[in-house]
Amino acid sequence: MTGSRPSFVVRALASIGRPVVIAGSAARELWMVLLGTLAGIIRNYRPGGRRPPGAVVAQLYAIGNRSLVFVAVTLGFIGMVMMYQACLQFSRAIGDLSQVGVQFLRLVVSDFGPTLTGMMLATRVGAGIAAEIGSMKVTEQLDALRMSGVLPIDYLLVPRFLASIVMTVALSIVGAAIMYGAGGLTAYLSFGVNPRTFFDPSLTLPRHVILGLIKAVSYGAAIPIVAGFCGLRARGSSEGVGWATTAAVVGGSFAVIALDFGLSVGALWIYGGKL
Amino acid sequence: MTAPYLAFVDVHKAFAGKPVLRGMDLTVAKGEILYIIGTSGVGKSVTIKHLVGFLAVDRGEIWFDGQRVDQLDERGFYPIRRRIGMVFQSATLFDAMTLAENVALPLRKHKRMRPAAALADARRRLAEVYLGDFADRYPAELSDGMRKRAAIARTLTLDPEVVLFDEPTTGLDPVNARRIDRLIRERSRALGVTAIVVSHDLPSIMTVADRVAFLYQGRVHTVGTPAALAASADPVVAQFISGQSTGPMETPGF
Repeated sequence: MTGSRPSFVVRALASIGRPVVIAGSAARELWMVLLGTLAGIIRNYRPGGRRPPGAVVAQLYAIGNRSLVFVAVTLGFIGMVMMYQACLQFSRAIGDLSQVGVQFLRLVVSDFGPTLTGMMLATRVGAGIAAEIGSMKVTEQLDALRMSGVLPIDYLLVPRFLASIVMTVALSIVGAAIMYGAGGLTAYLSFGVNPRTFFDPSLTLPRHVILGLIKAVSYGAAIPIVAGFCGLRARGSSEGVGWATTAAVVGGSFAVIALDFGLSVGALWIYGGKL
Repeated sequence: MTAPYLAFVDVHKAFAGKPVLRGMDLTVAKGEILYIIGTSGVGKSVTIKHLVGFLAVDRGEIWFDGQRVDQLDERGFYPIRRRIGMVFQSATLFDAMTLAENVALPLRKHKRMRPAAALADARRRLAEVYLGDFADRYPAELSDGMRKRAAIARTLTLDPEVVLFDEPTTGLDPVNARRIDRLIRERSRALGVTAIVVSHDLPSIMTVADRVAFLYQGRVHTVGTPAALAASADPVVAQFISGQSTGPMETPGF
């Protein structure tokens, strides 16, 4: 019996179907990592649970304290550049800079502060988590954990997940404050904007703060999940770990952008023009 | 006739469509030291990883002490992993832990021992493999041979009935390799531990093994005592034992 060559339509469908199947499988695995992590929190912290002692505190330090300078410097510079450009454009277009600080604070609190912090953490923290878990995977240390009666997700991902949420919120607050302060300083020094006019929180409402906090929590949860998923999929040797690290940075950054878009659209849908 | 202690029955396993095990049959008796040998990529490590649930068979059955284990889920393998220990090809010690903490981990998790008691027991286990003075050192500070012995101590800490060794002497100098051999033999003879050892190390095979299974083309080609294997007239076995680069043996990739 001779095999007949598949038709063009079959081959075209196969070329579309294969990536869809792979993407579907990856999405399902990502979802399973999230569910596994949530179940791991319950397993670790229920009465009589077997949580690794001091692991969350160690991760709070590794994710939070060690990212502080990176986030502060980055958001400070971005705040300066953004405010300089904003003042330049406002002065050319309408010549009135009295509303610059008021609007900037709303944007920083509800969007730029948490989102830029999330992007920075997706690179630094996401890469670290993926590299660590990926290298443990390819050197069979994850299998050794399983042989020791430890679920790798409970031991490695749960502490990072909890610490990442707490520290993304904390760093978003710090980052937003530095961004706002750096912007105010730039507006004063470059364009003579009165600091009393700039640092006016009257138009920033609780809903803006809540939206910013929801975004920070979402990014803090997404970054370790994406990074852990990439690390757990690492194959082979150092090349596989490199792939996992790159994928974690790209995937984590994409997750932050996608969540920012989704949550902003959701807030607009709820509050309409009052946001 | 009693059922074998460990049995692989017509086991098939493929990766990305490429078959590795093609109907492998093998039995292991209780207390036996069985070596699995064969060329690289023939499926030796793949075979033993099925026993502890790291890989799932595509087809076939695996039996351990009267229980079929190939159909168990991750949770179902917990009790199996208390009875079957595994020493990996690389030491797989956790870098952030001292040797004592590494060895104490299975005691804390599997036996739910308190940290202080687990650490005390871990120190005793490390002394058994002549690493008592290094209990508070980190893996990165030790030689390959010492790390391997620490990994063996970690595996033996649960007093497993079966220990799987994945190339335990690979990368070690001859002195350390023979020390590992002695550990395997002592454990088996003194405590009746069953050992399945994946290895290419002929001195090890000839001095430690009770039986040797030679894997070829996804199946057990020959199984017998080391002496019988060494005297085998089978051209494929003879080529493997002699280490000649030319002969009837098919080695994919060459």
